[in-house]
This record gives sequence, structure tokens and C-alpha cells, in this order.
Amino acid sequence: MTHVTLTVNGETIAADLAPRTSLADLLRERLRLTGTHLGCEHGICGACTVLIDDAPARACIVLAVSCDGQAVRTIEGFDDDPVMAELRSAFSREHALQCGFCTPGMLIAGRDLALRLPDAAPETVRHELSGNLCRCTGYAGIVRAVTSVAAGEAAARARSAPPAAPPAFPAVAAPAVGASAAGATPVPSSAVSASTAVAPDLADAPAPPAGWTRFEETFSIARPPATVWAALCDFPMVASCVPGAELIEHGADHVRGRLVVAVGPIKAAFAGSAKIVRDETRRIGRVQGAGSDKASGSRSRAEATFRVEPESRDGSRVVLVVDYVLQGTLAQVSRSGVAQEIGRRLVATFAANLDAALAGDTAPARTPAALDAKALLWASLKAWLGRLLGRSRG
Amino acid sequence: MKAPAFDYVRPASLDEAQALLAGSDGAKLLAGGQSLGPMLNLRLARPALLVDISRLDVLTEIGEAPEAWRIGAGVTHARLEDLGDRLAGAAMVGTVARGIAYRSVRTRGTIGGSIAHADPAADWPLALVALGASIEIRTHDDTRVQPAERFVRAAFTTDLAADEIVNAVVVPKRSAQARTGYFKFCRKAGEYPLVSAAVVLDRPSGFARIVMGALPSGPTALPDLAETVLTGGAAAATETIVETAVAAAVPGLDPVALRMRASAVRRAILQAYA
Repeated sequence: MTHVTLTVNGETIAADLAPRTSLADLLRERLRLTGTHLGCEHGICGACTVLIDDAPARACIVLAVSCDGQAVRTIEGFDDDPVMAELRSAFSREHALQCGFCTPGMLIAGRDLALRLPDAAPETVRHELSGNLCRCTGYAGIVRAVTSVAAGEAAARARSAPPAAPPAFPAVAAPAVGASAAGATPVPSSAVSASTAVAPDLADAPAPPAGWTRFEETFSIARPPATVWAALCDFPMVASCVPGAELIEHGADHVRGRLVVAVGPIKAAFAGSAKIVRDETRRIGRVQGAGSDKASGSRSRAEATFRVEPESRDGSRVVLVVDYVLQGTLAQVSRSGVAQEIGRRLVATFAANLDAALAGDTAPARTPAALDAKALLWASLKAWLGRLLGRSRG
Repeated sequence: MKAPAFDYVRPASLDEAQALLAGSDGAKLLAGGQSLGPMLNLRLARPALLVDISRLDVLTEIGEAPEAWRIGAGVTHARLEDLGDRLAGAAMVGTVARGIAYRSVRTRGTIGGSIAHADPAADWPLALVALGASIEIRTHDDTRVQPAERFVRAAFTTDLAADEIVNAVVVPKRSAQARTGYFKFCRKAGEYPLVSAAVVLDRPSGFARIVMGALPSGPTALPDLAETVLTGGAAAATETIVETAVAAAVPGLDPVALRMRASAVRRAILQAYA
């Protein structure tokens, strides 16, 4: 419990709170100020917008304990505010609400906009209100209402309070700017790791189901195909080489385990199982698996086809095609191909571990660490070096 | 949609914050919390301890040197937005800040928090690389400075050690002839972009950067294209030339993705010459 003191609508509130309590939950559950609505609870819909020290903020993603000593103003705290009074009338006049769920957030965001942007054009108002979702009105009435208030008298009077003189910037010693700032040092180019597969003829990897994502990787191991194939069919060996993997139970053609993936602040622990089918003569394996991370409510299904081929003298090449689908909260933050990139790095680390394990010089740890920032850093450094060398050769 | 349990400390100094980071397994810095907050609520992030540095005054200073601006890591996007073009020689900072998410996010989200979080689709990692900015990092006993392009390693991955804190961002001033462009394509205003690009061209100093954002491996530069455009102007940035440069830098893009990326780059270039 953390003790906080803050003011809410001018009233001093002292409370002992669990640190995880959001400002919205403090307002609604403790103070019964239920005008602050909770829609998405992850900072998307804007229904919970309040003012903290006069600046609009989303109460669902602000910790109440971080507001210690600050002044919070909710929709219940604007009774005698002339701009809000004008905005309320305008909302009524323009039919700017139907169910009213988004209205508290709309009003607080709209009032802030009217105070900041005199005579905002309707297009500006639309853009500025894009962080507040309304599912009833089609926004037309809301935009008309806020536009009229931004051009109205109450907002003009509120703005005419003498503006604070712009602060002079303190002079600082010329900061060391780093080598690159002086000139046009090229940034390492290219985004895809050097080991991207060269169009393998995997007629053996069926087309992925609609909505699934595919990535292909190829890596080389300095051991004969028979050795590599045997290693890839050995579940404990494979698990010991996958960063963050833990084998729970396995038979000849099925496996159950856990995989911990940590990227930046994100950490997910997938528990799941997989079945494997092998073509021993062609050295092709197909794995079908599914797993879920209970804590974040994320699920994934994946199908992987791998093939071991001879390469150079006594070496092997492993061609891997992975199709996967990610659902739930993790999928929401996995933009910009982040999941594929994590997959690539997992494969790269796995390949390095397997290579080392088969070479016998470094036995991989039985419980390898999760794919953490350091491993990622190493993987990206390696990829960067690969690109750099590739470039200088080309 | 409630955050998991964690401990919380609001240290009075950076020294104290660093001691907390070093002394606790699973400690995480909390700056504006506009990325970490949603991740906590979605339970994708489960830190043992949050070290709240959002209200340390020492991180919210903006200082001016003859050659550069030093922007404290705790300066919010909204403050940079409101400064507009008062950051002489680095006015793109204000433009970029104005386009981040929504006002109620910008009032809390910070420039240092954004670069340390290193979301591949976020604005600051891209913009700061294009601007040739550097990141001032407080180590456990010293300060070190790292160019932005070497600071962001990949998606959600930076050069920061566990007990290091971003102190400030140093943005060099460009000449009055400098041309800048910034374009991102978002499905919805304020959301993370699908593709983004930033252009900074300053002929007097020979500085030229064209950088793509929203890629899983972090901001990706197109140095040859930047040189071409610096000497040849916008006319040199034909659709074919830009598309070829993008395809070479990001192999394996499908035709639609390639077209989108190339369009973002080209629009940012055209904006710089508008």
C-alpha cells in the first residue's frame, strides 16, 4: 500500500492504495465519481479523459499513486466552468451525444481543444478529437459543437488570461554530440537478417491458412545431415537450444513445454504442445503446435516444416518455414513485423546453440535463459555485422 | 484489464533511481507511462518494481547551446508541440511532437521514455535518427553519449544497460537552408503508423539523411538516396529511384508493402521541397 494525497475537483483526498490502482479506478471505485467512464482500459478510446494539473490525460493508464500532490479534475468538477457550460449547450443543440458513454471524455478533450486552438477549423477539430471514440453519432454533431465553442466567447475570455511569458532557454555548454551528428555517417542499412531463406522449393510446406504469417529461415550447421537430423528429432536437445524453452513432457511424436519470450518490457510465457511428423528418408519434419500465455490472454498456433540438406563437405543446411497466427493482447502490440523479427532471432539463437552443442565445445545450458535483451542485442549485432560485411563484399 | 501487482517508488533523485534499478531484479523505469501503462493493463509487462521518474525536474530542462538543443528526457511531447518552431534549427522536433498519438497522450508521454522504449513504429526513434541526434545516457558513475542510430538496436531493444537512464536528447541545429520532411501512414489519425519516413537535408553542412521507420529492426537509412536527393533535389526522387532504394534496403517486401514504404519516403522528400 502506498499513501497518496491529491485533490479531486478541489477536495483533498488521502488514501492508501495498491500501486497498481489506476487513477480511473480510484475515481470510480473509491470516490464514486462514475462520470469518468472506462471503455478500453488501455488508452485507446478516450472515455476516461480527465485533467491532471490542468492537462488532459487518460485516467485508465495513469497510476493513482503517481498523482500524489497533483490536482485532478473530472467531469463532475466543471459545474461552474463557463467554457464547459457553453460546450454542454452546444452538445445538446447539435445532438452531439446519443448513448453518452464517450461524452465525459469528449467534453474534457473538447474543452481543452477550445482553450488551446482558437477558431479551430472543423478539420482540425476532427483531427484533434481522433483520440476519443464515439460509436453512435458519426462525430458530425460533436465536431460542430466543439468547433462552435472554440470560436465562441467563453473560450476567448478564458484564453485572454495573460499568457505566461515564454521562458528563455538556459544556455548549456556545447554538448558532445557524438560522431555522427557532424556529418552524414551512413546508418546501417537493410532490415532483414542476412540469413533470409533463398526461395526454398518447399512443395513440402503447404500454403499457410488465410490470415497466417509465414517466415522462412535457413541456417548452416557444420555437421553431416544425419547428425543434424537426429539432433532435430531429439526433443530434449532441441529444447535445450531454444532460448527460453522448457520441456515438460514428450513422447516419440509429441511434446509439451513452455516458452518464455521477453522483448523490451513485454514478457510472455507460452505453454503449449506440438505434434511432429517425420519423413526420415527425405529428412523433412512437420510440426504442428499451439500455445497460450494465460497472463496476457494471448494465443498462438504454428506449423513449421524443416528440411535438412547436405551442404559443402560434411556440412548441413536447415531450411525452415514457419507459419503462425497470433491472437489476443500480444497480437495487438505486435505491429511492424515484430513477431516475425522475434521468430527470426529465436531461430538465429537456436541455430547458434545447436551448432555449439553438436560441435561439443559449449554444451548449452539445460535451462537456457529466455530470449532477453542481451540475446536480442547480440542477435541484432550479428545481423548488423552480417549486413555490413555483405554490403562491403557487394 | 487491470495491471498486475507491483511495487512502486518515486525516487527524489536520479542517483536514487539508479540504485533502485541496480538493486532490484525486475525493476522498470516509469516515465510518462503512455506505452508502459497499456502494456501493464494488458499484462504484457509484469515488472516487480516501478521506479517513477516522471516528476524529476532535472529531466525536464530544455537548454540551448550554439550548435544544438539539449532536451531533457522527461520533456513531454505536448511541451515540444507547444514550442512549435521556437526550437530554432530543429523545428522538425515540434512538427513530429504534434503528430504523436493524441493530446491527452502527449501531455504525459516523454521524448526520453519513447526512445528508451524503442517501439519500432514510434515517432522519436525515427525522427531522432534522421535529425542526427544523440542520446545522453547516465551510466552508474558517468555520462556517455550515443548517436541515436546506434542507440536503437531493434524493436524494443536499445543500448541501455539495466541501471542506465536516458538523461537527455541532443538535437544538432541545422542551417536556415535545411529541408525537412516527415510522413507517416496511419490507418487512423494518432495510431501507430504502418509505414513512416523522415528526411533531413542540409546542403551547407552536407548532412543528408532519409530514414524509414516502422520496421522490426529499427530505423533504416537510405544513405545513397539521401546523397542523390541532396545534390539532385526532389526531381531526383522519381518513383522508380525511390522504390529501387527501398527494395534494396528492405529485401523481401511484397509489392503492396514496397509501394507503401516507397510512397512514404517519396512524400517525405516532396514535403521537404514543398
